[in-house]
Amino acid sequence: MSNTPNFERAVSVTQDSIANSTRPRSTILYAAASVTSLVGLGDAIYLAVEHVAGRSVQCTLVSGCSEVLSSQYASVRGIPLALIGAIAYFSVFSLATLAAFGYKGAGKLLTPMVGLMFLTSLWLIYLQAFVIKAFCQFCLLSALVTFILTGLVVAIIIRERR
Amino acid sequence: MKRALPFLLIAAVLAIALVIAWSLMRSGTDAPIPSATPVVSQSVSPNNPAPPTPAAIAEPGADPPHAEGPANALVTIEEFGDFQCPPCAMLHPVLKEMEKEFGSKLRVIFREFPLVPAHEHALSAARSAEAAALQGKFWEMHDLIYTNQNAWKNAFDVRPIFEEYAKTIGLNLERYRQDLTSETVQNRIFLDGKRARALGVKGTPTVFLNGREVPFPSLEPTKLRPLIEAEIASRSK
Repeated sequence: MSNTPNFERAVSVTQDSIANSTRPRSTILYAAASVTSLVGLGDAIYLAVEHVAGRSVQCTLVSGCSEVLSSQYASVRGIPLALIGAIAYFSVFSLATLAAFGYKGAGKLLTPMVGLMFLTSLWLIYLQAFVIKAFCQFCLLSALVTFILTGLVVAIIIRERR
Repeated sequence: MKRALPFLLIAAVLAIALVIAWSLMRSGTDAPIPSATPVVSQSVSPNNPAPPTPAAIAEPGADPPHAEGPANALVTIEEFGDFQCPPCAMLHPVLKEMEKEFGSKLRVIFREFPLVPAHEHALSAARSAEAAALQGKFWEMHDLIYTNQNAWKNAFDVRPIFEEYAKTIGLNLERYRQDLTSETVQNRIFLDGKRARALGVKGTPTVFLNGREVPFPSLEPTKLRPLIEAEIASRSK
C-alpha cells in the first residue's frame, strides 16, 4: 500500500514527459513565426526608408505603389505606417523567438499582437481596394505575412489547448 | 548560454535591420552631382557642391535641359520627375512658389524619369511634354499635365486628353502628333533616363540642389526655402 503514492507520482512524471515530448511541435511553430516575421520586417524597412527618403516606390507586379504610399493613410500623425509595421514585425520576431526558447509569457503576448496586426492588415486592404482604389505589392506582401503569422498563432493556440 | 541565445538572436536581427535601413537610406543620397549650369564657386564646403563624379560628367542628360531661370543663377534645382507620380505633382506648386520668390537667383531644371511600367501613362505624358517643347511650350504642357494629374492618371487612353492640352496651349496639332513618336523626343527621354541612372536616381521626385540631393521631407516650402537661402548666402560671399 505504501507504494501507491510513488506509483501515482511515477504516472504523473510520465504524463509530464509525454506533454514535454509534444512541446517541440509548438517550438517549430514559434520558430516558423519568427522566420516569417523577418520577411515582414525586411518589407517594412524598405517601405519605411523609401517613405522617409520621399522616393516614389516602383511596383513591378501592380501599378498603384505611389498612389498608396503617397496617400494620407501612409502615415499616422506624421509617423510612416511602414515604420510602425517594422516595429510590429520586430516585436513579433522577438516574442516568437523568446517563446521558441520556452519563455511562456512571450507566447501569451504574441497572440494579441498578431491579432492586432491581422485587423490592421484587413483595414489596410479595405483602404487599398475601396478608398484609394490602388494596390501596392509591398503592402500586399506585408498583409500576406501577417495572415501567415495569424495562421501560425491559431495553430499554436489549438495545439496548446489539446 | 542557452538562456542568452534568444536575446543574442534578437540583438543580432536588430543590428542587421538597422544596418540595412542605413544602407538603403544612403543608397539614394550619396551621389552628389555637379550643377547642370556653371556655378560661381567650385570650392567644396558643406554648402557647396561636391566635385563632379565621372558618371555625372559622362551622362549630361538631354541638351539643352528644360530650365526656368537664368543660366548664371546662384542656385540650380534639378528635378528628376515622373508626370504620373503623385509626390511629383505635390512638388510642382512648391517649385513654382520658390521660382516666384527667388526670381533670377534660382534656376529649375526638369529631367524626364518616367517610371515605366509602374505608371502606364508616364511615358505618354513625358512624350507630350517633349513634343510641346519642340514648339517652345514645354513648361506650359508640363504645368497642365501636373495640375490635372488626377483627371488623366486613371484614363484608359490619355492621348485625347493630352491633345486637348496641346490645343489649349496653342500647339500645331499635326506637328505635335508627329513629334510624339519622333526620334528627338525619344532620345531626350532616353538621355535624361541615362543621367538619372548614372546618378543613382531610384524614384521620383529626386531633387538636387546645386548638386546635392534634397531628401523629400525637406521639399516642403518651409524647409526648402531656408536651404535655398543658405545656398544663396554662401555663394554671395
